[in-house]
Amino acid sequence: MLLIECPWCGPRAETEFSYGGEAGIPRPADPDALSDAEWADYLFYRSNPRGAHRELWNHAQGCRRWFVVERDTVTNRIAGSFRLDETVPVPASAAEKQPEQGD
Amino acid sequence: MSERIARPHGLEAFFGAAESASRDGVEIALLKNRGFLNLRLDPRRERTVKAAEEVLGQDLPLAANSFSGGKRRVYWLGPDEWLLETGAEEAGALRGELEAALAGHHAAVNDVSGGQATLRLGGPEARTMLSKGCTLDLHPREFAPGQCARTGLARATVLLACIDEAPTFTLIVARSFADYLCRWLANAARP
Amino acid sequence: MAAGQANRLPRGGRIDRSRPLRFSFDGKSYAGYAGDTLASALLANGVSLLGRSFKLRRPRGIVGGGAEEPNAVMQVGEGAAARPNLLATQVELEPGLAARATRGWPSTRFDIGAALDSFGRILGAGFYYKTFKYPRAWWKLYEHFIRRAAGFGKAPDSPDPDRYEHRNAHCDVLVAGGGPAGLMAALTAARAGARVILADDDVEFGGSLLAGGDAIDGAPAMDWVAGAVAELREMPDCRLLSRGTVFGYHDHNFLTIVQRCVQEADAAAQGPARRPVAERLWRVRAKRVVLAQGAFERPLVFCNNDRPGVMLASAVSGYIHRHAVLPGRRAVVFTNNDSAYRTAIDLAGAGAEVAAIVDSRPGGAGAIGQRVKELGIPVLAGHVVSDVSGRRRVRGAGIARWTGEPWSAVEITLRIDCDLLAVSGGFSPAVHLHSQAGGKLEWDESQLCFLPGEARQPHDSAGAGNGKLSLGDCLADGLRAGKAAVEALGLNPPEIEIPATNESPAAPIKALWRVPAAKDADRCPKQFIDFQNDTTVADIRLAVREGYRNVEHVKRYTALGFGTDQGKLGNINGMAVLAETLGKPIPEVGTTTFRPAYTPVRFGAGAGESVGALYDPVRKTALHQWHEAAGAPMEVVGQWHRPRYFPRNGEDLHAAVARECLAVRNSVGIMDASTLGKIDVRGPDAVNFLERVYTHNVDRMKPGRCAYGILLGEDGMVMDDGVMARLAEDRFYLTTTTGGAAQVLDWLEKWLQTEWPELEVWLTSLTEQFSTLAVAGPNSRALLEKLGCDIPLDRESFPFMHVRTANLAGMPVSLFRVSFSGELAFEINIASGLAPDLWRKLMDVGREFELTPYGTETMHVLRAEKGFVIVGQDTDGSVTPVDLGMNWLLSKEKDFLGKRSLARPDCLRADRKQLVGLLSRAGCTVIPEGAQLIERTGQRAPVPMCGHVTSSYHSASLGHPIALALVAGGRGRRGETLFAAPPGREPIAVEIVSPAFYDPKGGRQHV
Repeated sequence: MLLIECPWCGPRAETEFSYGGEAGIPRPADPDALSDAEWADYLFYRSNPRGAHRELWNHAQGCRRWFVVERDTVTNRIAGSFRLDETVPVPASAAEKQPEQGD
Repeated sequence: MSERIARPHGLEAFFGAAESASRDGVEIALLKNRGFLNLRLDPRRERTVKAAEEVLGQDLPLAANSFSGGKRRVYWLGPDEWLLETGAEEAGALRGELEAALAGHHAAVNDVSGGQATLRLGGPEARTMLSKGCTLDLHPREFAPGQCARTGLARATVLLACIDEAPTFTLIVARSFADYLCRWLANAARP
Repeated sequence: MAAGQANRLPRGGRIDRSRPLRFSFDGKSYAGYAGDTLASALLANGVSLLGRSFKLRRPRGIVGGGAEEPNAVMQVGEGAAARPNLLATQVELEPGLAARATRGWPSTRFDIGAALDSFGRILGAGFYYKTFKYPRAWWKLYEHFIRRAAGFGKAPDSPDPDRYEHRNAHCDVLVAGGGPAGLMAALTAARAGARVILADDDVEFGGSLLAGGDAIDGAPAMDWVAGAVAELREMPDCRLLSRGTVFGYHDHNFLTIVQRCVQEADAAAQGPARRPVAERLWRVRAKRVVLAQGAFERPLVFCNNDRPGVMLASAVSGYIHRHAVLPGRRAVVFTNNDSAYRTAIDLAGAGAEVAAIVDSRPGGAGAIGQRVKELGIPVLAGHVVSDVSGRRRVRGAGIARWTGEPWSAVEITLRIDCDLLAVSGGFSPAVHLHSQAGGKLEWDESQLCFLPGEARQPHDSAGAGNGKLSLGDCLADGLRAGKAAVEALGLNPPEIEIPATNESPAAPIKALWRVPAAKDADRCPKQFIDFQNDTTVADIRLAVREGYRNVEHVKRYTALGFGTDQGKLGNINGMAVLAETLGKPIPEVGTTTFRPAYTPVRFGAGAGESVGALYDPVRKTALHQWHEAAGAPMEVVGQWHRPRYFPRNGEDLHAAVARECLAVRNSVGIMDASTLGKIDVRGPDAVNFLERVYTHNVDRMKPGRCAYGILLGEDGMVMDDGVMARLAEDRFYLTTTTGGAAQVLDWLEKWLQTEWPELEVWLTSLTEQFSTLAVAGPNSRALLEKLGCDIPLDRESFPFMHVRTANLAGMPVSLFRVSFSGELAFEINIASGLAPDLWRKLMDVGREFELTPYGTETMHVLRAEKGFVIVGQDTDGSVTPVDLGMNWLLSKEKDFLGKRSLARPDCLRADRKQLVGLLSRAGCTVIPEGAQLIERTGQRAPVPMCGHVTSSYHSASLGHPIALALVAGGRGRRGETLFAAPPGREPIAVEIVSPAFYDPKGGRQHV
């Protein structure tokens, strides 16, 4: 069970949170201007990285705020939690990461 | 508007037909006639905060997971959300006063007196009982008097507040979960 | 009382001789003492044959002394309280304890499957995969016999009477393992002021020191243990959990411990309400973790090494010192390292004859060799035990000289009679938790074991589990780990001196992974690696010959490390034999993945208190007590319990629902609709916000107006629906479905917080605050007027789809003129505290109108008669509003969530499933919900399906059954005939019709 740092309430157990998928996917300003492929890209396609991943979490059982967590999808290590009105620092470069053996 | 919460059955296993009981180092009491208002406003707007505080006669707690005492308790629920605990008879009038004072401000006041059940927990084993279903660190240094938290207790969401060092806790839960939670407490109170 | 305990030593041990007790094994009664384990008591009674092996049905006895025990797997207790698959080495002896061997059907001594052993060559690795594969239809038959013959424990078939609980805990330092290193680490951390949890799976703290013989600071080591434990117990922020096995190391330093609780009094006598907790599951969040779980001794791999009487040397020492049990009279000790020499000394000291120490190392032991010599124990250096004789009990060891060549054949030149063969193949640190936590493992060529390498989480290893095999090194390593932990926490480590020990230096271990036999490895008698799963050297070699190279594949093919073993006993030997077979170094082959649980955990401990009434929250409306008193059966909707119908005079569901439906259609009914989600939306941007999320034109609604609204996901699929009421220019009130209440609020908040933070809108849930009483039927207006309402309710003053605040019977309410039944109806919203009062008053006044309470079932029928969908029943996440025929709800003038998706090619397909009504041609059949629809009968499978039935009821108002369905291109197929094909029933001919069966023009709700 993860321990997630809520930017307001501090570290809380994962069971208090709900997951909101990859962060930083803004809704297109004019959906009608997009081709079907471009709309499908917004709708369905996610980066699914091996390593640092920015994702939305909601402190559903607590302060009900949505916020951004940077989590390593391999180790589950959390680099930081950020409020949506904060400038989120550049993620730990994926290039530095050693490729690891498959499980 | 008077608040009439049907008494949850769940506590009968703990204190029968009474309103409170103390056993095995745990004390549980059902608090009646509580009134609650939910307040939303942006704390960065000082004038709005001030308008609310003038009606309340006390500070809005701005620190996360804290509550202010005084005439009534004001619990921090989120960075722009508070729960005001008052007497049941007072809630309606207070809501009117707040709405009047906050007219023209970006704020929301809702009477939620009918939606909550309130319990008082205490006794030397109260922390042990809570730890059976709560993932918060309830150590006296970590969850001290003046602190509150909306969190999970068993499979319900609750507002838990540490009132004093005895320790005494206040537990506020959505009305529909009250019976379940009381059942759970009666079970968890067993040594 | 001690009569019969032939192997019990007259003195010593940590057993309580003042508390003799009786227990039974396989129906026979035996004597033992408090402080015994089931294993030690059985050994004391000379019971050496404990069961049969998993696959080959070979006789097996006790091998180890703890969690590594592969053979002594027991079913303990009877009936509902029976616990399958416990290790006898971990079961504390209790008065009256009844145990049975779980392996061995029909009995331990006479085993029908023993003949299988003779076919061992056939039953090699992968035998089951290869043999019991075809024909497929026979698999169930095979499975029945294989499972039965495998003889796993039997799960009780009635509810577990034991009580379990969960406990959440937090600490600065969790120390797993209470041996010398763990105690030292815990002391260090606790003295620094850290909050410490020390857990050990044994009954007493002390770990390896319990097995006796050691001295610390010139006194018996257990004195030091007692002092350390006493000091830790005194510390307020230190929690000691004995009988507590740390079995899982999860993400973010979250660890799970199962603690077996002491049953002081007879549990059953306390009655169910006061029954003490049997097992407690600790869920610990630790800032730092010190893993000090010690090391497992490895057996040696020689022919027939599984015979009862072949035991781990350290286990033999443990039984002698801790339980005062001498497992044999004439022993041979076989080793490749120094540690077993101590066992030889222990055996001699306990009065056994040690016939020889067989040491595979040409140079023999270090300093301890001299002590053995002084005791007159012969040492055969450069020799191995290549084979043993005896079947149900070892009778002798066949000894050969060995040159050190791994796969060479040897000649047995000496046979020594013995009834005990104590073996040591070196030690494997218990790296399970380190590995579960994502830590890497490193091969140590000098100690021949995997050591914990780089950690992934904030944890450290100490003691034997960190490769520190001497007591002095263990204590020093525990101190180091304790200091490192408190320093990482920013605390000052205390000054502690390492206690003095008196050990002499050991000679190094020498690799001996597979003992050479008289024949080559594939033809010699079986050399067992994993006793529990009957995996042999030949099996691993066969797997390699058949093309398996990866250790994980070999594991699955040969079952190496399956079951309760989980790689504790045979893993490293198996990896090493695999490496030798592949001609690769061991670290290149690697280990299999370690996963929780470290030892078996009872399902009851996992469930904790969440059983029976506490299994899941039961949410109750404010009117629940009235419903219960009225005898309404409940329907579970999410976590809510809602009255399904209100039977009168013994009515069944069908009769009650028919009566309730007709009451609503003809007079007036009342339903508790309080479970609907309710959201207050406020702020200058409320309209702007709702325009973006709802499909209809919100801005056109005047204050006082209600509208039916739907929410779409961005994929264009219907997500939820409800009523939107505009209470003021800047204030709205939304209802959601019962099941969607929490999700919709979270979802709205998500858009508001992540995408449109500039919008000034507040959302507040009022689901719990307000109860909703739906009053429906032609007499509903008259009823409210009769009750006393302070506003006019007539059609002109308060038209359909409007909202008013009012006082009803003197109580403040909001009235919504909305209808889910198609009748004139009012939904009354009232503060939940007042709802029971209002309900009672309505029922009183309503007698005149035969006001009829109705439940969810009637509500379903009434809305289906109108063709109103229920999101989640008539939709399934793949249904657009266009599919439902709701184009009229989709604004052309604005964007809204999901709108763009409705123009995706897939959403424009003409053959999408669309909502239709169905009438059975025969006119009297209620089609089962979920039935698939087909074009015609008589087709061969697989029959193409063109839709399915989503709702189906008998309509009392119409006098015939009705159904809603999703049918491919359905809207254009009115009047056509399809067939509903419920499994196992004759197809039912149905006609496609409009979904609005009753009052299709909607006149009745507008009156």
